[in-house]
Amino acid sequence: MTRVRVEPLGADLEPEPGESVIEAAWRLGYQWPTTCWGQAECMLCRVDVIAGEEATVPQGADEELALRTRLPASAQRPGLRLACRLQVRGDGVVLRKRGVVAPGPTGAP
Amino acid sequence: MAVAPDRESGRGGVPFAMKDPLHVPRERYYDRAFFELERERLWPHVWQMACRLEEIPASGDFVEYEICDQSIIVVRQADGSIGAFFNACRHRATELAKGDGRFPGGQIVCPFHGWRWNLDGSSSFVFGAEGFAPECLDPDDLRLRECLVDTWGGCVWINMDPDAPPLLDGLAPVPAMLDPLGVENMRVWWWKEVILDANWKLAQEAFLEGYHTMQTHPQIRRGPDDEAPPQLLAYETYARGHSSFRNGTQRVKMTPDQSLELSRIFWEGQDAMTLEKDIRVMASVRDHPDAAQSFPRLAVDAIYEDAAARGIPIAPYGPAMKLWGGEVFAFPNYFVLPQFANALCYRSRPYGDDPERCRFEVWSLTTYPEGEEPGPPQLQGRYAKDDTEHWGLIPRQDFSNIERQQRGLHSRSFEQLRLATEWERAISNMHESLDRHLER
Ligand code: FES
Ligand SMILES: [Fe+2]
Repeated sequence: MTRVRVEPLGADLEPEPGESVIEAAWRLGYQWPTTCWGQAECMLCRVDVIAGEEATVPQGADEELALRTRLPASAQRPGLRLACRLQVRGDGVVLRKRGVVAPGPTGAP
Repeated sequence: MAVAPDRESGRGGVPFAMKDPLHVPRERYYDRAFFELERERLWPHVWQMACRLEEIPASGDFVEYEICDQSIIVVRQADGSIGAFFNACRHRATELAKGDGRFPGGQIVCPFHGWRWNLDGSSSFVFGAEGFAPECLDPDDLRLRECLVDTWGGCVWINMDPDAPPLLDGLAPVPAMLDPLGVENMRVWWWKEVILDANWKLAQEAFLEGYHTMQTHPQIRRGPDDEAPPQLLAYETYARGHSSFRNGTQRVKMTPDQSLELSRIFWEGQDAMTLEKDIRVMASVRDHPDAAQSFPRLAVDAIYEDAAARGIPIAPYGPAMKLWGGEVFAFPNYFVLPQFANALCYRSRPYGDDPERCRFEVWSLTTYPEGEEPGPPQLQGRYAKDDTEHWGLIPRQDFSNIERQQRGLHSRSFEQLRLATEWERAISNMHESLDRHLER
């Protein structure tokens, strides 16, 4: 099992093999900013990888293209990934993402 | 639909109608009005194979199925059932999904203004709803419009007509013929397609008879003098346009080596029905003491023993095995050609808005050991009809005739196809069923 920490909420997610970070979050009942719901279109799910980059699966072509073309240059920076495409293959990954809401009576998707 | 006065019109105002089972008017393969009548009266009212079941194994997986100007999205639901929806946003008509893929968040999202639906088609979000008159946002009216959907034979079938008969009634007797052969257990070994400059019906008619084998596929002729008597196949036609053929009772006696060679030619020639693994197993009984007398029987026994040893769920022995090496056609456009634990399948559809182009797909199916079934299949590619790297000799030979036939139809000398009562009845049976749809 691989563990991913999401700051500033301090949530720990455990994505299953083949599952993206946002899917793991959805499965566990978290809310995560998006309007395209996993199509690598809206860019709202994007995260900063602040630690453990070596334990992430590298970008595929669709994520790379989206990040390059669907964000203004001012929003682009190293370590930016799409949570709907980001997969991890080991422990130690820490992400920063505002707007993630923990599961709960009002937080259920 | 208005029919121009100069067009020959038959029953129910169908232009270029079938007058007898012996002839097919040539206009049925290129006339624009006829094509449009099919688009209005055939395709929206008939069960059609939309995708393979294993393409959408998990909740949220989808496949877009296109037929003429209609697009349907087939979606695996959270409870494992399958939904099929017309692919048009309820706001301003944008197609919601293209090709195939997943809705990982359980939401179908319009790319234009971000309206959303749950996998079951119910509306889940309208951006800026406060800007709409309430009558525009009635939840029932916002639901994605559904098609009938059902599964059979390892495939998802859709029907756009809510009043259509149930799938198994529409397909009868095809399921009863093929179920005993284990088609449900088969999975895609490969899947390819070709675009042909020919009408979708003309393309598939090349596969509705084995009568062309003698001239088109000389390498698979059987018989002592390289003559393949056409009566080696037994043809049957059924209601609703379905048909089949199978090997007849007359057998050509072959030595084990001749049998193996023929099997090898089929394998190399199409990599379907008979696969390399089957040849290896059959070759293992070549030197059996009874081989000279009963090689075919020994070879089949060996295939069953091999399947049992590997945990391959091959269907039990039974009379349905007589369909091995034959063909079952499900009107309007789907074929299954079973052999051992394998099958070859075809689907022919119009391509673009052109009566004289079609998209012809080919699947080679096989049965995998239980638990070793491969993941979702991908279309390997669209290959030219003469691509020797991607099509075996047998389909290339078939494809090579089809476009020549389509051009020949336009010859000023030509009026109508003439069909053999004994060998080509499945073709007119298909056309007659088509006319019954067009008459409605
Ligand atoms: S067209 Fe679909 S949301 Fe506007
Ligand atoms: Fe052929």
